[in-house]
Amino acid sequence: MTVTTAPEAALGVLPRADGSAKYSHAGYTVTASVNGPIEAQRRDEHPYEAHVDVIVRPAAGVGSTRERHLESILQSSLTQIILVKNFPRSLIQIVLQVEDTPENDYVNTKLVQASLNFAIMPALFQTAVLALLSAGVPMRATATATAVAIVPQDGTKTSVVDPSPRDAEIAQSVHVLAFTSHDELLLAESEGDFTVKEWDDVYETAKQVCCRPVPAKEGMEMVLDDEHTNGPDLRHFLRSTMEQKVASDLHWK
Amino acid sequence: MAAASPAAAPSGAQQPSLTFTRPVFAKLSPHPYLLRTLSPDSPGQQPTRNNGRSPHQSRPIQINTSSLSQAHGSSLVRTGDTTVICGVRGELLPVTAIPQFRPHNGTLYDQDENDEERARKELRDYDLLVPNIEMATGCAPQFLPGVPPTTLAQTLSTRVYSLLHGAGVVDGRGLRVWYTPEKGGREGSGMEVEGEEGEQEEEEEQKPEVVAYWVLYIDLLFVSFDGNPFDAAWAAVLAALRDTELPVARWDPDREMVVCRKGGDKKLGIRGLPVACSAAVFLEKEHAEVGGGEGNRHWILLDPDRSEEGLCKEVVTVVVDCSEGETRVRSIEKQGGTVIGRELIRGFIGVAEGRWREVKEAMGN
Repeated sequence: MTVTTAPEAALGVLPRADGSAKYSHAGYTVTASVNGPIEAQRRDEHPYEAHVDVIVRPAAGVGSTRERHLESILQSSLTQIILVKNFPRSLIQIVLQVEDTPENDYVNTKLVQASLNFAIMPALFQTAVLALLSAGVPMRATATATAVAIVPQDGTKTSVVDPSPRDAEIAQSVHVLAFTSHDELLLAESEGDFTVKEWDDVYETAKQVCCRPVPAKEGMEMVLDDEHTNGPDLRHFLRSTMEQKVASDLHWK
Repeated sequence: MAAASPAAAPSGAQQPSLTFTRPVFAKLSPHPYLLRTLSPDSPGQQPTRNNGRSPHQSRPIQINTSSLSQAHGSSLVRTGDTTVICGVRGELLPVTAIPQFRPHNGTLYDQDENDEERARKELRDYDLLVPNIEMATGCAPQFLPGVPPTTLAQTLSTRVYSLLHGAGVVDGRGLRVWYTPEKGGREGSGMEVEGEEGEQEEEEEQKPEVVAYWVLYIDLLFVSFDGNPFDAAWAAVLAALRDTELPVARWDPDREMVVCRKGGDKKLGIRGLPVACSAAVFLEKEHAEVGGGEGNRHWILLDPDRSEEGLCKEVVTVVVDCSEGETRVRSIEKQGGTVIGRELIRGFIGVAEGRWREVKEAMGN
């Protein structure tokens, strides 16, 4: 049921933006563009720091209250990792266009949905970070995010990383956690019905996906991959994507 | 603040003074002012906030229900200077008006768990709960007249909507309007809408069916806004839903419409008592590199007011329900910073349990 594919990303896909990225994982495809630092509107101008503006556009229809909420979550998290103090009175604009969402045959799909969709958060977050890296916006840390659902299965509860819409629907609780590259908890959003103990387990699972130590040498990689099989290694993915981009950009040398 | 006024008003009232009163200083330079009150000079003094509370003290909550006569349920919640009115109004939605209606084959007295789950799905699929939040002009200076709903209002209504469904507060079974066809010749006229099904069922025994749903319009109005809007809004929604009584509705096969009877209103079924508890993190160095960790002290301010919210970036909201003995967490929302980690969230759930008892007492039962 779950589409277990490795995440894919491309950097610099849009020629006119300062930075851009396209990211697809767990059925979601998101394209982001970053422009900045640019001149801020008078009402957004802050005397000490840059204003970060996040715009989320859904795959179909126009943004509604749900997108406003996603924007506010992303905005407050990204402001923390961007060095906003370096650019007083300016604006860093991040536009996230959702291109593809996983289909779900089980649910009545409505065009406008007011309820939160936590499963899309990691894709939006990851794309935004990649696009910021592509634009060369100074950041104090990178960050990775993942979604975990606790799904009841044959009397026991299993935690599913990157839940499909079907998983998210039958899940008892859905969680989104984001960690910075210093292993700090940047964002935690959970809904459903769970205990403190379950949340702790989710925290461990998410931390393993987001904060696996980057292997020092290429040779070590294979050994580590065998040990942890639950979910992708997002931090390593972020790093290798950037390394590839830099290598191809400097190919002419 | 009262203690400062004698010092600020010197004996010669005409003479302009160069010393500022406390409120003026708090307005001019809010961050250092709050920092000074939170870190007193002598070790014996307790840290206090500008509003006189200690960091872990929340404002007392007052809840009043049934104050609106036209609504099916209403509440007025006040915590400090944040005041919210919530009104719940039920409207009937005939199933013929639902585009993607799937008739279900449950029965009227189906009390099993599957039915409960199905009712929960119906709430979501047919959008039977419609919360809306309005920030009244003048409830706080930042809300201007004649503008579209602010991001804050939109975010709040999304959060309330998600929590209503996520916590499964409303028992969807109470929103169904049933009709049991009578045996006899009147069947034809009553079943016109679903002709095929009617013919099939005529041979078997007559099964009850759902003919309409109640849609609950939950409207919230902030009369006065002084920080921590979500806690107050959620308490108001919960109190209003617990107060809601819907009229007894039945299907009239002759007139082919749902009619309500006067009197004998039925209480809406509400599950559990989830209570929201919010806090904000105040950092010692406002413009320092955030998350530098060492040397940047922080305070967790429970139930922040408007001036404190303006100074804090990191916020955390936890929704807990202790009504079943064991503490169940319904929602955790933490964003905007890296101070609150795993341990602090765990500790904060304990603080939220205390808040739960306060709110339960204020709810009256």
